[in-house]
Amino acid sequence: MMQELRVRKPPLGGIGKRVAYYPGCSLEGASRAYDVSARLVTKELGLELDYIEDYNCCGAMETKNVTFWGTILLNARNMSLARKQGHSAIIAPCNGCSFSLQRAEYFLETDKEILEKVNRLLEEAGVDPLREIPHTYHLLEWIYHEAGPERVKERTKKPLKGLRIASYYGCLYTRPHFYARTYAHGAEQESRNRMRETADDDERPYYMEALLEAAGAESVEIEPMHTQCCGGPHSLSDEQVSEKFVQMILQTAKEKGADIIATECPLCHASLEMYRHRLLMKGVSNADTPAAYFTQLLGLAFGYSVSDVKLKDNLSDPLPTLKRLGIV
Amino acid sequence: MAIHEKSLIDPERVLRKDKLLIDGIDISGDWNLIILPRVVQDYDLKFLKEVMEEPEGKTILQCYQCSYCTASCPVHNYWDERYNPRHFIHLARLGLLDELQKYTDVMWRCVSCHKCTHRCPKGVLVEEVVKAILKAMSKRGLIEEYPSKKFDKFFFDAVYQYGRIEDGELLFGWIEKQGYRVTKDPLLKKPIPFMGNIPQWLKELALKPLKNMNIGFLLLNAKHMLFHPKTKEWNRFKQVLRKVLEEEGTSVS
Repeated sequence: MMQELRVRKPPLGGIGKRVAYYPGCSLEGASRAYDVSARLVTKELGLELDYIEDYNCCGAMETKNVTFWGTILLNARNMSLARKQGHSAIIAPCNGCSFSLQRAEYFLETDKEILEKVNRLLEEAGVDPLREIPHTYHLLEWIYHEAGPERVKERTKKPLKGLRIASYYGCLYTRPHFYARTYAHGAEQESRNRMRETADDDERPYYMEALLEAAGAESVEIEPMHTQCCGGPHSLSDEQVSEKFVQMILQTAKEKGADIIATECPLCHASLEMYRHRLLMKGVSNADTPAAYFTQLLGLAFGYSVSDVKLKDNLSDPLPTLKRLGIV
Repeated sequence: MAIHEKSLIDPERVLRKDKLLIDGIDISGDWNLIILPRVVQDYDLKFLKEVMEEPEGKTILQCYQCSYCTASCPVHNYWDERYNPRHFIHLARLGLLDELQKYTDVMWRCVSCHKCTHRCPKGVLVEEVVKAILKAMSKRGLIEEYPSKKFDKFFFDAVYQYGRIEDGELLFGWIEKQGYRVTKDPLLKKPIPFMGNIPQWLKELALKPLKNMNIGFLLLNAKHMLFHPKTKEWNRFKQVLRKVLEEEGTSVS
């Protein structure tokens, strides 16, 4: 299955080696480990991230429930800033941020009235109006297509030998196809022309597995939990549901024999770590698999040290596991 | 309750008798169940219009009730069977508001995972439509404040004020809103993570970087808590945002 999927060809022209980087609020605070390791890894792979100066919050999945126009406007401002810096591709490392930007992209692209109104408002606010709408890609998708498993293999100095990794993608990385522009079996013909070749498989994403396997690790299938929700925007407001979802994810990972869970979203990561701690306090068994960002693991494989990739920032303590397996 | 039409039958209308005799003839067997007819007159046809006026709710009419959304929904499958997006769309289209009101305790539980929207064969933005139904219900006062709405508002206020959010402020601000006593420093009135009457799990988690001597992490987050990260050219944008919100009828704090 994996072998068959991995031969899908990159798009004509590609995404570009130098792109606008929208880190999002979280990556400059509590999730700095993701930011630091992402910069290290992309630099090592010969890619360049151009930080969007003075960006604002994308609104995540929360503000869209308060105001439709406000949320579109927040994202349009970021897009406009990226255009001003001369980019037509934005890279967001967070599922929430890439979702928000792609959602705005969808509404601006499919509804001319929305675009006109938003442009009027942007001008009023002293921001350049959008003449061209930049596309947003997830960091993982970009790394896979512009560097790819081959290059990761080339750069790997200390293979992650013997490390069994469960890749956890979360919800919004490939969903919904309207925004993430993945190929979906249910999509109608008219929405197919918006879909793009670079996108991951919608129900069985494999980019993270492919990259980590290239770095020498062994991947563990946790389907269907790899795209099961972690509670997302309800992580704080609906604790019972989030706890149940995280418990399902952690227990499946443990049952399948994973040593560590690789994540690609700061919110999923925080949610997994927070509820892991709470489940352990409650004495729930089989829920102690630690989590690390996939960029941290790639960084370790490229020969960077524990403090380079800020592994101490992970509240779920992956260090003892990695030490036991002789990786660090 | 994947077949939701059953829920439209009131239990008191179902008559089931062990032995049913009508005019001296025994008709027990398959015939012993009678459902009294129910006359519904309170269809509110304006409600569908109100949902469709929300920019997210436009696709509601494309739904052909296949229930793929409900079958995919993790809240329906793993939490509460009564959470049923297909049913909500059905009721909203009929305008059966008193039936819809029976689900106000679960309707807000959507975790925005977008499995429903992704898999819908008819191109309905299911997640957004359900949120549009909730919005329309809130505007009519049919649904009370619910936790996720409070959090969304709280989140938006932080964005509106500074242009960016800060994790610590969001977390401790929310904890404080839940009724916990958060200790604050006397000078700047910012929360101190390790102290106060906050939940034990949070205290332990906040202490972890300190135990690990992760000084860089502590300093960065302390800096952010003391001096909230801001978008520099925010004021002019904020005024436009305010105008948009007022047009929409959203209250601004």
